[in-house]
Amino acid sequence: MTSMEARPERVLDAVERGEAAVGIRPDEVVIGISPAFGDSFTKTIVEIPHAEVLRELLAGVEEQGVHARVIRYRSGSDLAVIAHAAARLSGSGIGVGLLSRGTTMIHQKDLVRLSNLELFPQAPLLDPETFRKVGRNAARYAKGESPEPVPARNDYMARPRWQAKAALLHIKETEFVTAGAAPVELDVRIRLADAG
Amino acid sequence: MAVTLPDQVELDPGSDYPLAAHRPELLRTPTGKPIDELTMQAVLSGDVAAEDLRISPDTLRLQAQVAERVGRTQLARNFRRAAELTALPDDLVLSIYNSLRPNASTKQQLTDIADRLEGEYSATLCAELVREAADVYERRDILA
Amino acid sequence: MTAEPLPVSTPASKRTEALEERPVNLDGFVEEWPEVGMVAMDSPYDPTPSVRVADGVIVEMDGKPRAEFDFLDQFIADHAIDVSVTEHAMALEPVEVARMLVDPTVTRSEVVEVAGGLTPAALLEVVKTMNVVEMMQALQKMRARRTPANQAHSTSARDNPVQVAAEAAEASLRGFRELETTLGVVRYAPLVAIALQVGALAGTPGALTQCALEEATELELGMRGITAYAETISVYGTEPVFCDGDDTPWSKAFLASAYASRGIKMRFTSGTGSEVQMGNAEGRSMLYLEIRCILVAKGAGVQGLQNGSISCIGVPGAVPAGIRAVLAENLLASTADLECASGNDQSFSHSDMRRTARLLPQLLSGTDFVCSGYSAVPNYDNMFAGSNLDSTDYDDWNTIQRDLQVDGALRHVPEEELLAARSRAARALQAVFAQLGLPTITDKEVEAATYAHGSQDLPMRDVLEDLKAAQSVMDRGITGLDVIKALEAAGYSDMAHTLLSVLRHRVSGDLLHTSAILTPELETLSAVNDANDYAGPGSGYRPAGERWREMKRLRHVVSASNPEEEIG
Repeated sequence: MTSMEARPERVLDAVERGEAAVGIRPDEVVIGISPAFGDSFTKTIVEIPHAEVLRELLAGVEEQGVHARVIRYRSGSDLAVIAHAAARLSGSGIGVGLLSRGTTMIHQKDLVRLSNLELFPQAPLLDPETFRKVGRNAARYAKGESPEPVPARNDYMARPRWQAKAALLHIKETEFVTAGAAPVELDVRIRLADAG
Repeated sequence: MAVTLPDQVELDPGSDYPLAAHRPELLRTPTGKPIDELTMQAVLSGDVAAEDLRISPDTLRLQAQVAERVGRTQLARNFRRAAELTALPDDLVLSIYNSLRPNASTKQQLTDIADRLEGEYSATLCAELVREAADVYERRDILA
Repeated sequence: MTAEPLPVSTPASKRTEALEERPVNLDGFVEEWPEVGMVAMDSPYDPTPSVRVADGVIVEMDGKPRAEFDFLDQFIADHAIDVSVTEHAMALEPVEVARMLVDPTVTRSEVVEVAGGLTPAALLEVVKTMNVVEMMQALQKMRARRTPANQAHSTSARDNPVQVAAEAAEASLRGFRELETTLGVVRYAPLVAIALQVGALAGTPGALTQCALEEATELELGMRGITAYAETISVYGTEPVFCDGDDTPWSKAFLASAYASRGIKMRFTSGTGSEVQMGNAEGRSMLYLEIRCILVAKGAGVQGLQNGSISCIGVPGAVPAGIRAVLAENLLASTADLECASGNDQSFSHSDMRRTARLLPQLLSGTDFVCSGYSAVPNYDNMFAGSNLDSTDYDDWNTIQRDLQVDGALRHVPEEELLAARSRAARALQAVFAQLGLPTITDKEVEAATYAHGSQDLPMRDVLEDLKAAQSVMDRGITGLDVIKALEAAGYSDMAHTLLSVLRHRVSGDLLHTSAILTPELETLSAVNDANDYAGPGSGYRPAGERWREMKRLRHVVSASNPEEEIG
């Protein structure tokens, strides 16, 4: 969609490090990814590589001087559930939920599950710059600030183009759900793909 | 003049509907005012309150009769339940609605609501609906 | 992901390049996947029709014994299906019922009676025997109200009440009998709902207004007489998705009675694709699940249903025969004797040709509301995420009506009349806000709203002040009566009288009947006193007389008496 061709290709290595624990650092944001993110699925609905998405989110968090931790949620594919679980594992109480197709939500552990701090429901409109802003805002919430929400983009032609594909992606992602499985801690490395 | 009860009126949908145009003498506000008294002058002089712009249970039962006579059984039944609910304050109506949501109430809570609807408000049709919900919710495991 | 070798590319032909450029190729299309419900209406996994009655109770339906009924099955079996006719109706071959639907010599009420005994799977089998032309023929007979009508969306990307008022006035003048708004920032609702109501009064009288919000707030605005009806009462076709929506058929049935108990017109909303979109279609086709929604609405005793996929149109729109299924939903809602507000209300395609093709079945057959939301604002202002038609399509719509002599319930209105109504709406709102102690509307805003095409043409408002005032409308308990008094005090006596008449209709309950609208003379027109009497050629509703003369007018028509001029 966007200027992806100009970006060098990156690869996501995510190594599981056991069951995710509740963080004790008050200056952290937990990013919860969906069961198939960066694994069976590799890119968002508009083909932004998952490596790129995570890289921007992490960079956004870290440029605010906040620590970021990544977990994989395994027992469900509902964005609010994933984002809320990430928030409850986060030392600051701020979490970001991320689905394979790109839909994203910032959550806070004391809010009810069906509420949220910021929701980005239109995955086709999320470009790398937006993911960076999402990371940045999550970090600012973690620091106790009240940032201006990331401007919501709207495109009334997103539905005819993407709605059915989004439904298929959601159903597919749900097939990777492991009932009852606890979230796992991930060791994430993003590296440049081998040249040539 | 004797008050005519809705059960005593035989309506012909072909000539009586819309009631506002053809049978205004049958229509009263819940506070007992004839519909023709809802004039601009009455509004401006403060003689019309928000409660006057509501429907009365008698009118709902008349409209239920119209619905039945044109073959709309379920719509008529809805009007008859609505006639019962006119007696309930707004916040109670909303709170019963919330209690009927999935996983929101125990069977006992729903049974209590049904008993109250029947006992306090003579709302037998609504009570029946709530009892039926309690049974189905139990069978489908969506009680609190 | 491993890097795949690039395929040996063959150059595209000039033809392919030209086709690739066509807007239709920006639309999304997917392959069917019946196992998860990604299929419009023809799935091997839909149940086989059956019914068994014992002691006046349905004890088996569509192959399932009563003990295994989910809550939708039970609600439908106990409240929607007419037990007294079901065994007779179910004994008919689907194609026999389909023929009754199409045959103009079989009356609407005969079909309604037979269809009232059919189970969801049986209704599905009936429409599966019909092509779209047969469905359209059936729909023109089965729609409940004789006279078709239309509904508009009047929203603003900035929730600007002045814009909404001006647009409501224009929309009612153009012929819409219902106006719906919703919000970007939900807290704006009371101000925008008042603006919609006041604006509607400045055009053609009798356009009813609603504000789409979560159930409790929507009901409260209705109870206060700030809005006149409600529509966004959603129902779903599977138990898990219904529960995700935090409702059951019983909670919705209770809500239906709650609205009626306050004299407020209401309809439910459902549509194909919502269950598969939410990942819980239980392996059934989209149309089978939608039929369950239609029967839940029928069983709840609500007078009508907004259906035709609605906000999920991208899902049926992406699969084969999806738009045929959407037409079938409208037909079956009408056949269930419900008012049908028939979709065409969400952005559907990048292709003008395709969005017109999607519209024609409802427009040509005529439905109770052809669009359940024609965007009366440019789509960038449409807070329902865009409609299939918007305010730049008015002249096309009017021309199609004229070309085919088909009544889509709109009309061409000369510029001076539109400007006068828009200006009056904005001025009246300015006065009402002043009377009620709400934030100032400047003359500059009135002027801008009069001539605007969209929110970008209006000055920015002080949003924080507006939101505070919106809260105060709720806190102070402002009602429709206060709006009447404010209009009267500011000299808008005719508008005050109209609003009082609209609210007085609540006392009579006439508008609670199936397919009810108010005419410009403020009389109720519903399926009771305007029942559809289509019985083949020469019968039923046909635009004629004054209405047909009105439909002949367009923006540019060359005068026959003086071909150097256009008639106005």
